[in-house]
Amino acid sequence: MFEMAKELFKQLFKKPFTNMFPAKHAPKSTVGFLKKVEEGKAKLNEPVPIPEGFRGKIAYDKEKCIGCKLCIKVCPANAFEYLEKERKVKYHLSRCTFCAQCVDVCPVNALVSTKEFLLSDYNKK
Amino acid sequence: MNPDKVIEKKDRERKPDEPVKKKRKSNSYSLSIGPIHPALKEPIRFDLQIEGEKVVKVDFELSQVHRGIEWIGTRRNPVQILYLAERICGICNICHSTCFCIAVENIANIEVPARAHYLRTIHAELERIHSHILWAGVAAHELGFDSVMHYTWKIREKVLDVMEALTGNRITKGIMMIGGVRRDINEKQVPMVKEALEYYKKGFGKLESIFLKDPVIKSRTVGTGILSRHDGLALCAVGPTARASGIKKDVRQDEPYAAYSDLDVKAITPKDFLGEVKGDVFDRIVVRLLEVKQSIEIIEECLKQMPKGKILHEEKIPKLLAELRNIEGDGIGRLEAPRGEVIHYVKMVGKEAPYSWKVRAPTYNNLLPWGPMLMGEQVADVPIIAASTDPCMSCTNRAVVADGNSEKILDNEAMRRLSVEKTNALKRRLGR
Amino acid sequence: MIDALQAIVLIPIIAIVGIFIALLFKGIDRILAARMQARIGPPLSQPFIDVKKLFMKENIVPKNAVKWIFGMMPVVALTASIAVLFYIPLFGFKPLLDGYGDAILVIYLFAIPSLAMVLGGFASSSRYATIGAQREMVTMLSYEFPLAISIIAIAWLVSSTTACSPAFSLGAISIWALVGPLGILGLILLFLVMLFVMPGEVGAIPFDSPEAETEIGGGVLTEYSGRNLGLFYISASVKTIAFAAFIVALFFPGNISNTLFLTGIGAILADALFFLVKIFIIVFIGSTFIRVAIARFRITQVVKVYWGYASFMALFGLLLIAIDLMGVV
Repeated sequence: MFEMAKELFKQLFKKPFTNMFPAKHAPKSTVGFLKKVEEGKAKLNEPVPIPEGFRGKIAYDKEKCIGCKLCIKVCPANAFEYLEKERKVKYHLSRCTFCAQCVDVCPVNALVSTKEFLLSDYNKK
Repeated sequence: MNPDKVIEKKDRERKPDEPVKKKRKSNSYSLSIGPIHPALKEPIRFDLQIEGEKVVKVDFELSQVHRGIEWIGTRRNPVQILYLAERICGICNICHSTCFCIAVENIANIEVPARAHYLRTIHAELERIHSHILWAGVAAHELGFDSVMHYTWKIREKVLDVMEALTGNRITKGIMMIGGVRRDINEKQVPMVKEALEYYKKGFGKLESIFLKDPVIKSRTVGTGILSRHDGLALCAVGPTARASGIKKDVRQDEPYAAYSDLDVKAITPKDFLGEVKGDVFDRIVVRLLEVKQSIEIIEECLKQMPKGKILHEEKIPKLLAELRNIEGDGIGRLEAPRGEVIHYVKMVGKEAPYSWKVRAPTYNNLLPWGPMLMGEQVADVPIIAASTDPCMSCTNRAVVADGNSEKILDNEAMRRLSVEKTNALKRRLGR
Repeated sequence: MIDALQAIVLIPIIAIVGIFIALLFKGIDRILAARMQARIGPPLSQPFIDVKKLFMKENIVPKNAVKWIFGMMPVVALTASIAVLFYIPLFGFKPLLDGYGDAILVIYLFAIPSLAMVLGGFASSSRYATIGAQREMVTMLSYEFPLAISIIAIAWLVSSTTACSPAFSLGAISIWALVGPLGILGLILLFLVMLFVMPGEVGAIPFDSPEAETEIGGGVLTEYSGRNLGLFYISASVKTIAFAAFIVALFFPGNISNTLFLTGIGAILADALFFLVKIFIIVFIGSTFIRVAIARFRITQVVKVYWGYASFMALFGLLLIAIDLMGVV
């Protein structure tokens, strides 16, 4: 009976489970907070570690690309645009769903999954 | 007709010998819950007639979140649809993509390697653990017991971590591929999965004592929202909702897919644990918790039995796509999602994109049972009863009445007349 | 007895200090609740931030509402909550209006914020608020009964054993010394009843069916917004500490300074701190812990719990005290 009450009382004296990323309480301005971190005035709590084989932001090596259009064919979100003149593709990060099907299909490994996942930005790249 | 508009028929639920109750209209008033309401995780509108605190009439209105996923699907090739299918439901994403795979594999007569079958089973069962634990938290929240919600969601993190390590993502895993799976489980990952299973075995005992022995949860759920076996069968309930009413119905048992034919999976009813079947909310909690335990056992068995070998029927995606472009015919995929039976119907006509793709999510079947469940209950129990079937509205919505301002619903005849009118108007405009 | 000038000076001070302490306790309450749920929780200043934001927001009055009742009720609720503070000993001092009112008056004052919420709920003409108001009324009727039994038992005990006039002033007498062992058992029962009434009185979770967020989306407060909601928010916080202070005054009056041989400013500080600690313990047990450890009751269960178990316990406590007194007298 009242198993939860016991558990709650125990948890009262334990460290919270929450990972305090990026700070304990939401900073008033995230940009301002990051600036402070860069200046060394504040400390950034580390995010939860990501495992091997994580499907993060996709890195596109334009040099390697041969313009075979396979990525365009398999991409479920139309994140690739074919550039007629250059015979290469353009990768739209904002449309990407990070399924990494294009990484699997690319014959020359021009597309690679990275571990990068902090992708929000003010700049529309 | 709007197929999703379901009107609760009170007369059907009444047993033949029960006298017709006289309605006292003066005391009842209507209460509209939803489309947006703190108790509802997804939009649906309940129109309840209330007498004091008692529900005397139930009606609900669907079609608040139509997304046109099937329509999008008919403009994409099967490999692209896999990722679209995943997004039908965030929680049963493996189920929908696997189900689509099975349907397409049926059409193309693709044989899936044995190891891939086992991997699919493991992923599906991990997802079941995740879904049921998440549901337990939501149910606790509906009961006003947020501590349990935070506790269960804390426990849930482990399975998310495992899924992230195995597939590369926490929720939309993108692991399924037509003819197999995309990633194998390597030797390094096996101990991690086993450790997580041990963690859940331990956590299961705690969850059991919290949910099944807490006096307040018990007093709120026992005898609440009863769905009789008769009603469950008549209204085609599926999944844990049906099993909690004592209907031994489980696709894994009745029509095994993936590796389930090698494993001894039996539909769980509350009879196994409580000795009797009431079909109330408490029974549905029991069934889901026992299924978590069952899933742990299934995964352990899979890890033991899993053969070595290929995990994909065709590794080269362009070749696979070329193969799928030439197939013709229709196929059906059935599988047991955490919420019940999912059915995908796909028709291919020798083109890149399927001619038709139809999804029937389990929630669709579990909506009608709300009628008999909610009837005669208190307003306070509406959220927990509604949540007890683990509804997923956006998975269910596939039709929408777009004529928002008027009440009228177009039937077949009216549609034909309108299209004739439009054709005539076009003809006139083109001067023919 | 105090003179009018003193009262005019002290009333705003007590009100402001009371609100400050109430919001501070609310912050502590939220952090502790979060810690028990393995969360971090908001910063300590969160209730102040909430109130500040609510006061800046637009105050929306529904079209069909009875506007004057709708707008007046938050003020009435807050006024009554603060008024309670004048009749309860705070920080080791005597009550401000000592001698003008007694425990019975305090029960009536405690009922006013709930009544204000009921009226406000009915006046807001929302279905959810109407259901909430009905529930609030039922809840109030349920917990008032065991509460009244407990208070009257204590009042009767005090008036029949001491030379105090029937309108005894709170905090002057330690009731534990007035009874024998059987009476002490009875008092412990009454204390438990009071603790059990507390979550109902302050609208904390097992008994928060009038507000029940997941059922009727805020209930009585559904249509309230902006300044009005802010006033109700403060009123609820003040009521929490007022009720805790009331329990402290009834069961654990007395100061610590005499025991510690402190004098002057040190004694005042020590007493004030001791008072805060006592209140904190009561709030933690009676509101914070119960709120996170139990699921919400249905309204029918609320009635059953209060009229059944709590009233029975209170009556039994009363009986024990009576037997004890009969033996003594």
